[in-house]
Amino acid sequence: MTSQNGCTRAWEAMPWVLQGNAPQEQGEWLAQHLVQCTACRVEFEQQSRLRLALSLPAEVELDPNAGLERLLARLDRPEREVAPAPARVVPWLSRALVAAVLVQAIGIGILGARLWSAQPAPVYRTLSQASAPAVAGAIHLVPDATMKLADWDALLRQLHLQVVGGPNDVGAYTVIPASPASTAQTVERLRAAQGIRLAEPANATP
Amino acid sequence: MNDADTHDDATDRMLLQRMAAGDRGALAVLYRSYHGRLCRFLSRLTRRPDVIEEVINDCFWIAWQKCGSFRGDSRASTWIMGIAYRCGLKALRQHGDEPVEDDPLRDERGSAHDPGEDRELRDWLGKGLERLSTDQRVVVELVYGVGHSLDEVAVIMQCPVGTVKARLFYARVKLRNVLPALAGEPVTHQENVP
Repeated sequence: MTSQNGCTRAWEAMPWVLQGNAPQEQGEWLAQHLVQCTACRVEFEQQSRLRLALSLPAEVELDPNAGLERLLARLDRPEREVAPAPARVVPWLSRALVAAVLVQAIGIGILGARLWSAQPAPVYRTLSQASAPAVAGAIHLVPDATMKLADWDALLRQLHLQVVGGPNDVGAYTVIPASPASTAQTVERLRAAQGIRLAEPANATP
Repeated sequence: MNDADTHDDATDRMLLQRMAAGDRGALAVLYRSYHGRLCRFLSRLTRRPDVIEEVINDCFWIAWQKCGSFRGDSRASTWIMGIAYRCGLKALRQHGDEPVEDDPLRDERGSAHDPGEDRELRDWLGKGLERLSTDQRVVVELVYGVGHSLDEVAVIMQCPVGTVKARLFYARVKLRNVLPALAGEPVTHQENVP
């Protein structure tokens, strides 16, 4: 029988016939098939050679007695010295990486908070922002550049004014009267005084 | 299993029973009787002699610890080869990426006691097995080299019999396609599967 089925059956039977573990009738059938089928005969010869090659002694030469001695010595040890498995290394590595990331995150957080708190107030003011509330009754006052200090001093004393700010970039001072109730009157008197270029209540809306 | 196998299995079981009772002499007998076949089996997984010895000793260390729980569901040799296979895979995972140190005495040693024909046969086999995956090499060794059945190989490799069949089939097809060429013969049936 050299049909495809016969060759398939022969292919399956070969390892077990070569092992000597195939039933007798299977061995006899294969022998008969091989007589008739050249391809299976070639295959069987190669399988026989493969089995022969695989049955050669190991190329690696180890002394069984030396190995046995080491094994017996190992049995005498109280506990097996187990080498750390690679699987155990991975969690430690992961934990170390997680810890490093956490430390970095905390550091960045602290640095950010410090920078935020240390940031100075902006030196400009937008038109939509409310200006700092002026002291009640305060007056902005711009004296003339030629006004003498003695005249300035005399005027402040005469009107009971006290300088609380200035001069600013344009030479304006902020003064407050002794009595806030008299602000309007004081402004009028200041405007009429010699050597005063500008007198305006500080809370006046432009 | 033939008569010789049955006799061997009975001896192995008796040795395992004695080992379970703490008999180190029995361990020594079993160790020596399996050393050669384990060496050959493990040399299909790695070329490193130090790793092979380590695996053999790991295998018998486990056998010594567990022999009391061997229930005899399979042949003793199947049980021992299964332990060796698992220890071998573990060793491969640990040492697999380490470079293999070339043994300068290897060729000299091989040629010193190898008749020319054996040397040629080894080279031919080595080149053929290089084309197979680790699992395929293990199946080929267990079936053709050690003489296990498909069922036993399935127990050793802890996988379904169908998987073993498939591994053996593909290994044989690959070998059939490369071995004639390696032997300098014309290839008559490339990729022709029965």
